[in-house]
Amino acid sequence: MGIAMEWISASMKAKLISFWRALFRDPIIPFGLVSLVLLVTLAIIPAKDHFSEWRRYQRQYLRLIHDRGDSVTLERHFQGGIRQIWLPELAVADRCQTCHTALGEASLGDVSTQPFRTHSVIPHRLDEFGCVICHRGQGAATTVAEAHHSTLAPEEPLLPARYLEASCGQCHHVALPGTPNLNEGRDLLARRGCLRCHAVRLPDGSRMTPTDNPQPITHIAAKTTREWIYAWLQTPSGYAASSTMPDYQMSEEDARDISAFLIANSEPLSGSSLPTPLAPSKSAPDTAAGATLYRESSCASCHAIGNAANNMVGGDLGQEPAPELAPEPGPELTRIGSKVKPEWLQSWLQDPRTYNSHTLMPRYRWTPQQLRIVSAYVESRTDPELLAHVHLQPATAQQIANGKALVIEYGCAVCHEIRGIPKPEAYAPELSRVGSKPLAQLVFITGMERTLPAYLNGKIRHPQAFGPGLRMPQYTFTSEQADALTTALLSLTDRSFALPSRLQIPAQAVATYQPAGQAGKLMAELNCFACHRINGRGGDTAPDLTWEGSAVQRAWLDAFLKNPYTLRPAMIRHMPKFNLSDSERAELTGYFVTVYQKPDIDRDSMPLSGYSPALVEQGRQLFYSKYSCQSCHMVNTQKDKGSIGPALTNVGSRLNAAWIDHWLKNPQALRPGTIEPNQNMSDGDASALTAFLMAQKSSGAREAKR
Amino acid sequence: MPRRTDTYYEKLQRTRIWRSIFRSGAGYSTLHRALAIQQNIFLHLFSTKVRRRMLTFRATWYLGALTLGTFFILVVTGVLLMLYYHPSVPQAYADMKDLKFVVSSGMFLRNLHRWSAHTMVFLVFAHMFKVFYRGAYRPPRQFNWVIGVVLLLTTLLLSYTGYLLPWDQLAFWAITVGSNIASAVPVFGDKVSFLMLGGHQVNANALLRFYVLHCVILPLAAALLIAVHMWRIRKDGGLYVRQSQPGVESPRESHADEAGVVKV
Repeated sequence: MGIAMEWISASMKAKLISFWRALFRDPIIPFGLVSLVLLVTLAIIPAKDHFSEWRRYQRQYLRLIHDRGDSVTLERHFQGGIRQIWLPELAVADRCQTCHTALGEASLGDVSTQPFRTHSVIPHRLDEFGCVICHRGQGAATTVAEAHHSTLAPEEPLLPARYLEASCGQCHHVALPGTPNLNEGRDLLARRGCLRCHAVRLPDGSRMTPTDNPQPITHIAAKTTREWIYAWLQTPSGYAASSTMPDYQMSEEDARDISAFLIANSEPLSGSSLPTPLAPSKSAPDTAAGATLYRESSCASCHAIGNAANNMVGGDLGQEPAPELAPEPGPELTRIGSKVKPEWLQSWLQDPRTYNSHTLMPRYRWTPQQLRIVSAYVESRTDPELLAHVHLQPATAQQIANGKALVIEYGCAVCHEIRGIPKPEAYAPELSRVGSKPLAQLVFITGMERTLPAYLNGKIRHPQAFGPGLRMPQYTFTSEQADALTTALLSLTDRSFALPSRLQIPAQAVATYQPAGQAGKLMAELNCFACHRINGRGGDTAPDLTWEGSAVQRAWLDAFLKNPYTLRPAMIRHMPKFNLSDSERAELTGYFVTVYQKPDIDRDSMPLSGYSPALVEQGRQLFYSKYSCQSCHMVNTQKDKGSIGPALTNVGSRLNAAWIDHWLKNPQALRPGTIEPNQNMSDGDASALTAFLMAQKSSGAREAKR
Repeated sequence: MPRRTDTYYEKLQRTRIWRSIFRSGAGYSTLHRALAIQQNIFLHLFSTKVRRRMLTFRATWYLGALTLGTFFILVVTGVLLMLYYHPSVPQAYADMKDLKFVVSSGMFLRNLHRWSAHTMVFLVFAHMFKVFYRGAYRPPRQFNWVIGVVLLLTTLLLSYTGYLLPWDQLAFWAITVGSNIASAVPVFGDKVSFLMLGGHQVNANALLRFYVLHCVILPLAAALLIAVHMWRIRKDGGLYVRQSQPGVESPRESHADEAGVVKV
């Protein structure tokens, strides 16, 4: 056997040697061989091109449309070869349509196999925007793997459909009606404190600003106890389910030391500005009266209370339809009695700005009696379980010093104002371009999907899972909220910065309108902007007051502020009664009537009374017959049934004639979006109706009664 | 040489046009052939006569010729690639994508250029080893050895400058590392690095500089040096024959040292 092997190898060797000699004896032979190899290679190259992936898809498409009724039209539309959308301005060269041949073919709507589906109807033209602007992926590629899944820097894989709204946000920095996820995400970024630690710069150079309103804890000892702080720090959700403070999963020692420091560091409230404490009430608190006063003061507009079934009631001020314009809701009051000290609560209710000069809480001018009722009502919301097991030893100096170090380490001062602790700068990484972060710069947890959206989502939901020592605390986001936040973060891309500025739709500047003078101070104190909008600032749960001075008569406004009532028969809720003094009301009405004027309405161009009875009668006819106003409004409470629009029984004492006249001719011009139809009324009809409406004065009985 | 009937080729060679282009004239005599080489601007660099034995594989392993061949391939593919390439940021990378996805045979061109470049570097080294171990660097060829060393450096520089042009991560970091090495040189290292990159970082300036170096300056330098290298082979007595003694031109061939005896 061995000999045979030897023989074979010997003969092989001989053959190889003779082959070698044959090959290189004459230099022509290797030259010929090399030429042959080159020829074969040159033949392979065009063959590879011919059998490429995209040609296969185009052949499939032609087979698909061949048997259809409209094949002639479709074949005429079809253009073979590499198809691309080239948009130099957007730095886009998209070849997606090479395979996705039928994006614009409406008649192929029934085809569900990719890549031949038609594109859904969108507000933009495909050939003006290309594909990768919204879907990401590598537009230049002509193979599926490269176009859809490549993650080599700087290419990106396709954006999952549920985050697609992120792409709108690259140009549209203003909230769009079609992008609820993105809007919610941006709102959460601003509202849940993300922007306090993470800076987000926008392409126009501005910064996203937080809209939350974290409590200063400079005077915390006046408000609550160390035990409560201790329990709160460990599990904020144990006190308030709707807490926006994240869970730091703090150890007992850390919570003990921080609470010791905060109490020791607390500054007593300065004595002179303190509201006078009330004498203790002798009688038992009247819960029914408390509930009524709580409701009438619209406390529930801002404050939520968990009911017996653990559902939140209230605090839903202006959630829809434009959450970004709504003011921040107040803290949840479910267990408030276990938190605040009664004397603090009373002084807070008397004048919130003594404790926190930035609070949104209005200053109600409650009488001492009302104060007792409402504070007792609020104080009764307790949870004996909350602090039942908290027993703290008196704080040592060591604990207090350690607490201070911990407060700095945890970054408490990023949100809260704390005496002696400076606000840290750049506490967390800037997120201005986080939506384009290369995967090479991310540290993934083993087992997680290696994509940027998955990373951001995971980081939002379980920040602590990404490694010990990371400072980001645990938030309580639902999975929808986490998706919305991911969407908002994914919209912060390099491309967004690279786009020419004329393609950017900047965010509406935050309305900073501030009324002037004494009236302005009063309006801030009453927090009018929580519900009313003036010159673009404020909520939308109550009427826009921008032109209130042109609309209403001063006497009526004064009476209304003194005793607010609802104008619409179908509504029960009305403006809270603030117990304004005569001088305060005079200040406010004077300011309103002077400042909030629509320039093209001359208030004094039409008289408030003295219209001829004939004209009034003509107006009545028009009211009841031609325009059938009574179907929505009531003039006569006995006869009319209209309860959609405001009651007009008193309108002659309420509105100015010139305003009514303008309103009748074009309601939408004075209040965009009002449901009152524009009747294209002639001048004659409008003045007759105005005369009729101005004749609807209050009998005087109502005024006398109040 | 036996008398033959004239072929069309031979008739063509006698036309006035042909004679005006090729000065050496037609004919198969040794003189004619020698003249064909000697009077051609390109071929006159080479020896007019070569020993047949020197054309066998074992004599040189064709390493020099193969190096020249890869250089030709690199010039041709490089010029074709230049038709699709912009030395600008970030268009350079987009051009790579175009070559990959839409240019006919674009990938083939890139790969041929790339592999030829690697092969050329390898062949240059092999050529130098062969020359070194055969002792062909010795006088009177010592200056041609020096030219060869400069050609080695030119080849390496061509390879290095070409590395940046795709403008991908690999390119960027390779050149960053390279320029950092340069700046580690004492005293004037930073100046060298700055001169190389046209700045302190690998950026648009560096890309442009490397492009000009890779496509204009270094290829021209290489072509010039190759021409001198070839010319010197002729001037230094043709391809090196082993039995020649150092410094002494052997008048005739001998097989004496085929056994590997090195005469000193």
